[in-house]
Amino acid sequence: MIIPRLALRTLRREWRLPELRTLMAALLLAVVALGAVGTLAARVQNAVLMSAAELIGGDLGIDASTPLPPAFVDHAKALGLHTSTLAEFPSVAFAHDRSQLLSVIAGDGAWPLRGKLVVTAANGSSHNARAPAAGSIDLDHRALVALGLTPGDRVQVGGMDLVVAAQIEQQPGGSGLVSLAPHAVMALSDARASGLLGVGSRARHRLLVAGGVTDVAAYRSWAKAHLPGDARLVTPEDVQQRLAIAFDRAGAFLQLAALLAALLAGIAVALSAQRYARRKTDEIALLRALGASSRFTFGSLAWTLALPSLLAAFAGVAIALGLAALAFAYAHNLLPPSAQRAPMPFGPAFAAAGMGLAVLVGFALPPLARLKAIPPIAVFRRSAMRTSRRFDAWYLLPVLVALGLIALATGSWKIAGVLAASLAGAAAFTALLTFTSLWCIRRYAARLSPALRLGASALARRRGLSLLQACAISLGLTALLLLAVVAPALLDNWRRDLPPDTPNWFVVNLQTPQRADVRGALAKLDATRFNDMPVAVGKLVSINGVDVESTPFRGRDVSQEASQQVRLSWSGALPPANRVVEGRWFAQDPAQAEVSLDVAWIHRFDLKLGDTLEFLVGDRHLDARLTSVREVDWSRFDVNFFVLLDPAHGQTLPHTWIASFHLPSGDAHALAAFSRDYPNLSLIDVDDLLDRARQIVGQVTTAARWVLAFSLLAGALVLAAALTMSAAERRHEAALLRTLGARRAQLRMAALCEFGLLGAISGATALLAAAIGGTWLAHSVFRMQAFAPPWPQLAIAAIVAAAVVAALGLVGTRGVLRTPPLQLLRR
Amino acid sequence: MGKHVAGPTGRLDILDDVSLEVNVGETVAITGASGSGKTTLLGLLAGLDLPSRGSVRLDGHALEALDEEARARLRLRLVGFVFQSFHLLPALTAEENVLLPLELDGAPDALARVRAALASVGLRERGAHYPYQLSGGEQQRVAIARAFVHDPRILFADEPTGNLDHTSRDGIADLLFSLNREHHTTLVLVTHDPALAARCARVHELVDGRLRVHAA
Ligand SMILES: Nc1ncnc2c1ncn2[C@@H]1O[C@H](COP(=O)(O)OP(=O)(O)OP(=O)(O)O)[C@@H](O)[C@H]1O
Ligand SMILES: [Mg+2]
Repeated sequence: MIIPRLALRTLRREWRLPELRTLMAALLLAVVALGAVGTLAARVQNAVLMSAAELIGGDLGIDASTPLPPAFVDHAKALGLHTSTLAEFPSVAFAHDRSQLLSVIAGDGAWPLRGKLVVTAANGSSHNARAPAAGSIDLDHRALVALGLTPGDRVQVGGMDLVVAAQIEQQPGGSGLVSLAPHAVMALSDARASGLLGVGSRARHRLLVAGGVTDVAAYRSWAKAHLPGDARLVTPEDVQQRLAIAFDRAGAFLQLAALLAALLAGIAVALSAQRYARRKTDEIALLRALGASSRFTFGSLAWTLALPSLLAAFAGVAIALGLAALAFAYAHNLLPPSAQRAPMPFGPAFAAAGMGLAVLVGFALPPLARLKAIPPIAVFRRSAMRTSRRFDAWYLLPVLVALGLIALATGSWKIAGVLAASLAGAAAFTALLTFTSLWCIRRYAARLSPALRLGASALARRRGLSLLQACAISLGLTALLLLAVVAPALLDNWRRDLPPDTPNWFVVNLQTPQRADVRGALAKLDATRFNDMPVAVGKLVSINGVDVESTPFRGRDVSQEASQQVRLSWSGALPPANRVVEGRWFAQDPAQAEVSLDVAWIHRFDLKLGDTLEFLVGDRHLDARLTSVREVDWSRFDVNFFVLLDPAHGQTLPHTWIASFHLPSGDAHALAAFSRDYPNLSLIDVDDLLDRARQIVGQVTTAARWVLAFSLLAGALVLAAALTMSAAERRHEAALLRTLGARRAQLRMAALCEFGLLGAISGATALLAAAIGGTWLAHSVFRMQAFAPPWPQLAIAAIVAAAVVAALGLVGTRGVLRTPPLQLLRR
Repeated sequence: MGKHVAGPTGRLDILDDVSLEVNVGETVAITGASGSGKTTLLGLLAGLDLPSRGSVRLDGHALEALDEEARARLRLRLVGFVFQSFHLLPALTAEENVLLPLELDGAPDALARVRAALASVGLRERGAHYPYQLSGGEQQRVAIARAFVHDPRILFADEPTGNLDHTSRDGIADLLFSLNREHHTTLVLVTHDPALAARCARVHELVDGRLRVHAA
């Protein structure tokens, strides 16, 4: 027990030490940055998910072809979740002499749990509504026009006579893209009573649940384990693939930002620990000389650090939660109303405390562990320390901690590996650059002017420190440039993926003889960007002659995947937003059919180039050899296919066409007549999805800006820690030079030169590392195909950063220039 | 003049009422008990610190009237200083440490003068060594070489022979006094060594913050 008491005494004395304070400040900031960013990111992510929940009408849905067993509702209720049951089916409505196929949602009184059903009643007032009461039905504008009705009229659906209660203005999406016909909403009880949901009907049944994030997550895992055969989970994330990609990207963005903040804090911790260790060397050597055991000295050191660390970590948690709450309060009106209820998650802040302590241990232990090996002789001669220059396994620890943190944040060891490798590469590059510069300085210093030489050799003298400083500043700058310059560019790029004239309508079931007519009719409506592609619907039967529905392929049971419908298309040229990553694009009129697949398929079925896939379309069998693998940018709202065939063989299959075009959202009513002229066509409106995607980009941009502010703080701390590392030495040196008669200009020039060089090296490295890292991130993490680093902005930011470093160096000499040197030397 | 500082237990009067005049080419020794304020006085005389009251005039310049910058210029031109604790820059070799004053002045043939200075303190071979590779006495000799390498008019030395053995002590003393003889360098030494003090023309003792003349 003597050790903790000694530690407390040491602490009382050392509390004033700048490096101990910096160490604690770094830990505090690490926890605050990680915690606030993590909490905010998690909360924004929750909020974004919640707003996505509006699309499916709940936080989680279970879709099935028959009503779900009551256990599903019961379990949800037991978990305190709200539930709503609905059915979705096509049905023909009759009014007067007209009829119209409707896409009907029959919901109970609770529907929608999330999102809004906005209706305009007969009296013209718009309001939020639930599914209508029994005996009435809501119809959208298209349905009303097609049937020649207004609210208050009567309509026959499924043999029932219903009152049109209101016009639907806005409703939560059904199953996403497949919202073909005009919409109607009616009471579930009516649908049940009318027999619309009976055996043989084409109805899909859905149970929606909504509630707290953890409860929903718990329910989700329970439901997953109890799903009946044909049921599937519908989550906000997978409600629509393109939107899912937007969420992925949003999540990855915020995680990356938080991660960079964490690494920045880690660097600051490492720097101040290094400095603390240097300071403690003499003291520990003396204690050892006085007879203290190395266990005793190290133990007291550990206690001295542990006490304030825990305090700092908890203070960090509190501040992080407060900051996140403030930030969210400030930013919440940027989020859709329903997302503002997103609860404050406490997990991330405490996880951040854990991670902060891990960072502390990981980054601070190596220099401190060295102290354990200090021989007593070091009291007499510092050189005794220098002999133990062998490789120290301790220095792997921060690397492992960083790797672990990155993996934790990104959920991918591959990304962690690549990111860590590129950061290590940046550090190595900096070290090399610094080393070479220092060597040149040593070598050619004699030819420089005295002041310049003084400054340049100041770096060369503290070679180890200079290397460390340069690496720390480079890594810090890299992280900041990535966040400040590359991230906005990435977001811009993403926004550019969704230009105003992005196709917002799809036409499916277009027959070959209709193509020209439809194209002309749409052109008359001022639709732009018309593009159509053939589509054949079939199934994957076998791979390399192995029947995949009954036999495992390459050791894996893929019958589930193989049982689904496949949409095939063909094209002579590689479609836009597609990139061949393996193999070669189709040859001209190949003798044997060729197929090109998206990488997702390659993973799904574990395929290799040269494999033969057998498709069944209608009654036609087609054997096609896999000749290329494509990467498709699914975030683009173009018509894209997982499976493409060479056109010569594709054409022989029975097929229809799918077309996309852009029509300003206000002009949609013009399509009513068009859809009557071509009754076989289904029109799909993706404006909603487009809007959601655009909103997400906007939300992420806002969040990223907040995260950037935190990271700037962390970056400033790294800079401060790096500069104060050598501050004591520099002050001593400057004071001494001053006693020898050095002029102000000489000291300033020396400082400017020293820090200018440091800034230039770090700036240059950071510029390159951020550009390379950003490009890699764009391609691999954010799956953007066309991304060019914003060189001018990067260069400007790097130059500004280098200038800031140099300016800070200058500021640091100010005190020295004013104080009588003897007072400085006494410190 | 007087000097007081704020200590942890209140005001600490180090120098109370000190008056001292040193003429060009003189040799003066200051003795006194440990903690009597010798280092403080030497620092004030060299313009490294400012008195709390009174005035210090160096070569006709009232130091307290100058700013830090002007005092620095004056030091570079006139003053050499040997610190009690040497204050060598740990990252510089002995040669580079001695080079500093010349470098600041942009003096020509600097390296040759540095080598000559190191040779005269008996460290010809150790120029490339770093302070941590030198013994305490050797470091002290490097500090002395740094103090006179730029031919200052007045040299302040705080215990210049404190860490040295008999032979080197005499060697250093000889060197200092030969500077005085040949270049008319004024010497102001703080020392506990009676032999060294005896070689000076005047000896003052600091007692209770006041100077007492010992010998004339
Ligand atoms: N900046 C300061 N703050 C507090 N006390 C100071 C300061 N400067 C000097 N002192 C005190 O003034 C007294 C004189 O210090 P000084 O270094 O001049 O003594 P000295 O005569 O050189 O002693 P020694 O022979 O041990 O070197 C000491 O008691 C010292 O603690
Ligand atoms: Mg003294």
